[in-house]
Amino acid sequence: MTPLELSVLALIVGAAFATAALKSVLNSVVAFGAYSLSIAIIWVFLRAPDVGLTEAAVGAGIMTVLFLLTIVKTEHPEVERTFERIDLQAAGVALALVVVLSSTLFALPAVGDANAAVADDEVTEYYLENAYEETHVKNAVTAVLAAYRGFDTMGEAAVVYSAGVGLLVVLNREVFG
Amino acid sequence: MSDSDRRVARGGPYVGSPIIMATVRVVMPFVFTFGLFVMFHGADSSGGGFQGGVIVGTVVLMLGIAFGIESTRDWIGPRLPVALVGVGVLAFLFTGIGSVLLGAGFLEYAVYGDLGIPHASKYGIEFVELAIGVIVAGIVTGLFFAIAAGTTGGESA
Repeated sequence: MTPLELSVLALIVGAAFATAALKSVLNSVVAFGAYSLSIAIIWVFLRAPDVGLTEAAVGAGIMTVLFLLTIVKTEHPEVERTFERIDLQAAGVALALVVVLSSTLFALPAVGDANAAVADDEVTEYYLENAYEETHVKNAVTAVLAAYRGFDTMGEAAVVYSAGVGLLVVLNREVFG
Repeated sequence: MSDSDRRVARGGPYVGSPIIMATVRVVMPFVFTFGLFVMFHGADSSGGGFQGGVIVGTVVLMLGIAFGIESTRDWIGPRLPVALVGVGVLAFLFTGIGSVLLGAGFLEYAVYGDLGIPHASKYGIEFVELAIGVIVAGIVTGLFFAIAAGTTGGESA
């Protein structure tokens, strides 16, 4: 692991702690934006630039703006202290969860491992070998998303559509009566 | 913090900042082009409709923040974002149904080559990416306007 990756990881953990511990909601939202941005950088390190781009655009960009717009509407009293008092019981539960989840880390293959189950799987091999001839797009991720699994992506689009339209109906009724 | 500053920080009436307005005016076309680039270039490198659509939607968000959310909403109109979302879903759906009508499987783009479209598969995928981008951009702007409505005190209608 390079020093750069280590420092980004440290930034993620720090931003996550700040999000949880900061008392002012506005500060938490800013820290959460920093957290999303550093997660996006980690995705690029993990060779998933598509996911990184989504995380940067949606997580760090749009979500931060929507959160900010939402908290503008709420009452936020002047806070006299920067950090929340830490609830020891909740912190203990969170720590236990982290320990349990971390135990699965050792079962994962190393990043970029040629013998990983994902890399030498038959399906992966098929996509990598035939994606260009069958779909004429160079990005195998797009080939899988839009062509091989196009039906799933259409379902995703329908989910975005119905969730968005439902939200808009409710919000517009709330706001405009 | 002066009184007027505090009012702005608490979501008071919109106050134009010449710096933000000028910056948005300069940056906006580039961001829009970048969004379209990400949408179309998803076929050859990382990117795609979801990411590109969000970036295109960001252009409207920047306009709203620079020139006032209310006036931007009046300029765009309440129906356009929702209409875009519907158009995007229908375009995606009809791309799939069209390939069935031409005698192939659902969303089997290669069959559009029979209509004389070169690289039918590639352009079919890019068309679908564009449709996804339109859906996402519409939802992003619609949500932005809906959530922002009422921040200025609820007199907006």
